[in-house]
Amino acid sequence: MSIVLDVRDVWKSYGELQVLKGVTFSVGEKEVKVVFGPSGSGKSTLLRCINMLDPPDKGEVLLKGQSLMEDGVNLTMMRARIGMVFQQFNLFSHLKALDNVTIGPQRVLGLEREEAVDRAHVAIEQVQMTDWIDHYPAQLSGGQQQRIGIARALAMDPDVVLFDEPTSALDPELIGEVLQVMLDIAQAGTTMIVVTHEMGFARAVANEMLFIDDGIIVETGTPKHFFTAPENERVRQFLHRLEVLYGGQESVEQ
Amino acid sequence: MVGSGDMHNLMPLQYGIVSYIDELAQAFLVTLELYFVGLVLGFIMGLTFAIMRQFGGRVLSRIATGYIEVIRGTPLITQVLLVYAIPVAINAAGIADLPLNWYFYYIDSQNRIAVTLNWPILASMLGLGINSAAYQAEYMRGGFASITSGQLRAASSIGMTRWQSIRYIILPQGLRRSIPAWSNEAAYLPKYTVVAIWVGVMEILNMSKTVIARTFLSVEMYLILAIIFFVFITAINKVLEITHSRTKIPGV
Amino acid sequence: MQERDLPSLLVFIITAGLPATLLLSVVGLGMGFLIGVALALIRVYAEEDISLLAQAYENLFRGVPVLVLMLLFLVSTGWPAFFSAGLALGLRSGAYQSQIVRGAILSVSESQMIAAYSIGMNRMQTARHIVLPQAFRLALPGWSNEYAVVTKDTAWAGAIGVLDMVKASDYLVFEDPVLFLPAILAITLIYFVLTYPITRYAGEVMSKRLRSLGLGGDY
Repeated sequence: MSIVLDVRDVWKSYGELQVLKGVTFSVGEKEVKVVFGPSGSGKSTLLRCINMLDPPDKGEVLLKGQSLMEDGVNLTMMRARIGMVFQQFNLFSHLKALDNVTIGPQRVLGLEREEAVDRAHVAIEQVQMTDWIDHYPAQLSGGQQQRIGIARALAMDPDVVLFDEPTSALDPELIGEVLQVMLDIAQAGTTMIVVTHEMGFARAVANEMLFIDDGIIVETGTPKHFFTAPENERVRQFLHRLEVLYGGQESVEQ
Repeated sequence: MVGSGDMHNLMPLQYGIVSYIDELAQAFLVTLELYFVGLVLGFIMGLTFAIMRQFGGRVLSRIATGYIEVIRGTPLITQVLLVYAIPVAINAAGIADLPLNWYFYYIDSQNRIAVTLNWPILASMLGLGINSAAYQAEYMRGGFASITSGQLRAASSIGMTRWQSIRYIILPQGLRRSIPAWSNEAAYLPKYTVVAIWVGVMEILNMSKTVIARTFLSVEMYLILAIIFFVFITAINKVLEITHSRTKIPGV
Repeated sequence: MQERDLPSLLVFIITAGLPATLLLSVVGLGMGFLIGVALALIRVYAEEDISLLAQAYENLFRGVPVLVLMLLFLVSTGWPAFFSAGLALGLRSGAYQSQIVRGAILSVSESQMIAAYSIGMNRMQTARHIVLPQAFRLALPGWSNEYAVVTKDTAWAGAIGVLDMVKASDYLVFEDPVLFLPAILAITLIYFVLTYPITRYAGEVMSKRLRSLGLGGDY
């Protein structure tokens, strides 16, 4: 299995606050990694460091062997190969759903309009939003907006897609539709790094889970490992709190 | 440089504009007069219209809205000309004989008469006030509207009447909150005092034209005039900024 | 042009004066648009020292009466009064339109810019395809307001000799005030008809539509 993304000893601080203290892991092709941990532990920062929206202070990020931190690397073209799905969706408010998805292929990849539209249709089909392509973001529910956000990332045909707590800004009844779409694309072979507390999703598709606390990876393992015999006390406490909060691990039906 | 260019050799700058400094200063006082009276008049009328519009009930609020929109939709110049011309036309038509030829003045250091108030000056002040009131009312209304209705309910819960809650709760907060927007109007108005030239008031622009007629230094005079206004308005902005920072309510 | 009865005076005001009013308004707004957009882009995107120059331009043109600008251009360029008036209106409107456009640019939400970077857009592309299209829509209410300001301020051009509506009648103030009164009322009404429908449309209908599209900051 070839390595898509390699994160090596990444450090990041904001002023006095050291957020990441040496994070190392890698993602293979078609793998799904779920990152979880307490709020403020550095999960979102890690994602922003991976696609250089917030470059790390120290360390190395390699996309298919190519370093993102070397001088002279074309960052925008590298970012085009790393999809990102945001907690707040971040759709472009002046563009209809379809154009939110076509604008990347058209403007960044330089495709013709028809080609971009074809590609967008495929991505929109994947997130089951075909009936909504003529709507503006403000006319869509949060769940629908997030699905368009996922389609926007997929349409770029990225090497890996980063999900930054994609369901945590959604009303409970809308979470299911987004998780279902994420399950579908995971099973279709999309390489993904997902920051989420949806343990049902993790159990269903994660190849590996990473528990981050206080800027370091505390424990890694398969879902089975975490849900049967986590070693670290902090992990046990955290999983227990999640269980109390959400009433069991199965917030999504497989 | 057209028309006046040849005269520069005959009349160097230091013998030109500088020798009219007293007259210019006098005229600037008239400009200041127009500004302050216009601003204060606009404040009093504007506050009235803002309260009418926000709390006046159907009829009063419609009247205030109509006033504000008509004034904001028409030029200051025609407003001042109208104010000036109405009594003049009444006299000319023989309907009444309104006194329009009075004036207040003082005698300056060179024993000349300096007019401080006459009908053209008063008409300009009224016009500026009427105009500014519409803009000030809108800024104040914005300040009033930003106060939560919870505070009004709280006021009536301790037994305040409607007028009392406007007077003691809304106004003190609303006026403070409208200071930043209101500052725009305060810094806008000085520029518009030159409207008085239309009805023959000897304010700073009119005096500048008089000086140009005698010295032919038109470019120099207008440049100086531009600088005078720029400095005046910058100074007003500074004063307002300091006032604002001193009247802020903590946490608001 | 010594019209002595109201109907022929009104015809004279509209045929001789209104064209200059409309033309000056278009010239002032158009020139102001080009200058305003350029200044706004400089203030948001350019290096600090260039941005300070743009700011100085704004302060300068906002701090001087437009009539003084007109007079200054008239005596220093030697151009016909109409061009001096148009130049003054345009340069000054540029200073105000810069603020309108800049405010609109800054109110486009940061999160959308981050999303644009995340799909590989560079700063240029993000500005051109994400920020500016939204900013131009957000600026519409401000622009309609500026249209009213410029249209009303064309009236100053009469003072430097441009034959606009006010100039077409103001000789009557002292000569025939009884005839002047209905004339200046009619002119006031024409200005109102020119400005009010547009500012009203922009203020209410357009703002509502912008909000329904979720334009203007995060939603």
